[in-house]
Amino acid sequence: MVKRGLGIALAASVALSGCVQTRQYADVQFTPPSGDYKLLVLRPDVTVGSLTTGGMVEPRADWTDQARHSIVEALRAQQARRGGKITIVEHRNEVPGVTAQELADVERLNYVVDQSIVLHKYLGDYLPTKRGKGLDWTLGADAVKLGQKTGYDYALFLHAEDSVASGGRIALGVLGLAGCFIGFCAPNVGGQQQLDYASLVDLKTGEVVWFNVVTAGSEIPGIKFGDLRTPEGAAQMVDRLLGRMKPGKEAAKGVVMTPEPQEKR
Amino acid sequence: MCSRCLELTRRSLLAGGAATAAALHAGVAQARVRPQDMVPLVGPGFKPTERDEIGLWKEMDRVEEEISGTNLLITDRNITGYLRDLIGTVGGPAAKDFRIYLARIPEFNAMMFPTGFAVVFSGLLLRMRNEAQLAGVIAHESGHFLRRHMIRSWRDQKRKTDLFAIGAMLAGVGGAGAGVYLGDYVQLAQLGTILSLFQYSRAMEAEADSMGARLIADTGYPPVEMANIWEQLIGEENASARYRGKHRRKGSIFDTHPSEGSRMADLRADAAEITVPGKVYDAHRDRYLTNIGPIRPMLLDDQVKLNDPGASQYLIETLAQDGWNGLLRFYEGEVWRLRNRPGDEQRAAQSYAAAVAYPDAPAEAWRSHGIELMKQGRSAEAKSAFRRYLTIKPDAPDAAWVRSMAG
Repeated sequence: MVKRGLGIALAASVALSGCVQTRQYADVQFTPPSGDYKLLVLRPDVTVGSLTTGGMVEPRADWTDQARHSIVEALRAQQARRGGKITIVEHRNEVPGVTAQELADVERLNYVVDQSIVLHKYLGDYLPTKRGKGLDWTLGADAVKLGQKTGYDYALFLHAEDSVASGGRIALGVLGLAGCFIGFCAPNVGGQQQLDYASLVDLKTGEVVWFNVVTAGSEIPGIKFGDLRTPEGAAQMVDRLLGRMKPGKEAAKGVVMTPEPQEKR
Repeated sequence: MCSRCLELTRRSLLAGGAATAAALHAGVAQARVRPQDMVPLVGPGFKPTERDEIGLWKEMDRVEEEISGTNLLITDRNITGYLRDLIGTVGGPAAKDFRIYLARIPEFNAMMFPTGFAVVFSGLLLRMRNEAQLAGVIAHESGHFLRRHMIRSWRDQKRKTDLFAIGAMLAGVGGAGAGVYLGDYVQLAQLGTILSLFQYSRAMEAEADSMGARLIADTGYPPVEMANIWEQLIGEENASARYRGKHRRKGSIFDTHPSEGSRMADLRADAAEITVPGKVYDAHRDRYLTNIGPIRPMLLDDQVKLNDPGASQYLIETLAQDGWNGLLRFYEGEVWRLRNRPGDEQRAAQSYAAAVAYPDAPAEAWRSHGIELMKQGRSAEAKSAFRRYLTIKPDAPDAAWVRSMAG
């Protein structure tokens, strides 16, 4: 519910066209985790609903459970291929070494930082002070403390929401299409809308090192771009969202990280 | 939302409006819901069995997790236990299933979520004059759950938006086939759909009021106290608006709740209907004051800092109808001091002086009283007031400063 606001803002930022879009940002010195790293995935936030004829999204508990299960499985498989050790927690009291309250604090902090990233990187409200700096946000000491207490290298926050056009919505689109023959053409009433985003936090420095948004939507009900409920659709989503992590600008150019703290303005 | 409606001609608007009103089977006025018709629709241990309601409940899991863990909550065991006991008394068949959270927000509000957890704002506890009033608000919220309002409104919204979407598409396709443009009527139907959703919401509120009145009357509280809440709120809003040179907002067709005046009138009628002659009702004012006593200074402090002197003054005077005391007099002084209009300092000084005459005067009243005395040049009396402050609060953060003033 709380997360809905961010979702709507993100969904509004991409043109409502029938396609899949992704846009990622990384810290300039970011290199995608590989080898022997420990990744903590905090409470993947997944909801799948049915798009009603009138355009509302009806939450579906069974679909949400299916999708969450499929996404968790796909995530495990993907990270195992990269060599990382991954822990996915569903509840805040499942991480040894930290209290549920400490975890909640980091999660909420991450949420507002994510909002800021969305505002200044995706919604066009660009900040001149951050120009050319890639992704320049941090969760600060709280995230470092989380890393020290739990021994994880990275924390991943993941949100996925999907709505599947109901029979009525598809029929409405078909009716709109039928109208094309007599001069009132409206097949594009809007069908499936999927929105996924993820942020990766380096628990050694507290910095948000990578952020990605995937939107997939079809204007025509009935046409789907990957169904989160199925293992294939979930794997496709995880691949779109996390599979092509690009290194940051300086890391890509081979600039060696200096041990001295960088001057930040 | 409806700026283009202005393009309609007056005649088509009237014709369309009449059709819309007829289609909705009702105008703006809301018929009173009778308490005897308000039968709970759920029993103890209710769990959803239908698909849409299961989905709705699922979404609420994380909402409750988030709310129950927010640091806005007042977690004092005495006061939360008191609220839990209250909802356990007036919650009808679901009494034992409810959860209730108290948020530190100085506003008049309370809400029930679809899965049966309620959030009460601290500003409500400041405004209620007795346990019956608080029980009335909690019973109203319980009524939303007992009458299954959330899923019923969701289904109402779904049905009406579905109908609108199909109707709009048919108007487009049909209009194109017949060669006429029906777009204006589609807009009007959209307005009609929106209005009808608000109206449904108001009907649910009226049900919850009636259900609430019945629940508290059954448990021995005078049901008329629910009407009194609205009388107090109207008074407060009038006072607040008057101070700002405005008028109190009256109800409109875009409201989710019925107007305060009509809720008050309906609840008075409900109360007259369900009060059993000869039966003893008790509003339990003493029990209420004992329970909220420990947090009352905080509630008053949050209120006076809202910079709404009209409302604050009204609230304090309303609470004082049950008797002035040191706490209320001190915060009355604070309202004047913070308002700071000509003459307000003298008013504040009088309030502080009155406050310290009561045995329950808070320590801060002695400090403020001392400062005012000092300004008037009565330094011996001022010093004794400061010493009194230090006796009550030796570890106050400003103790060193006050000690230097006390000499």
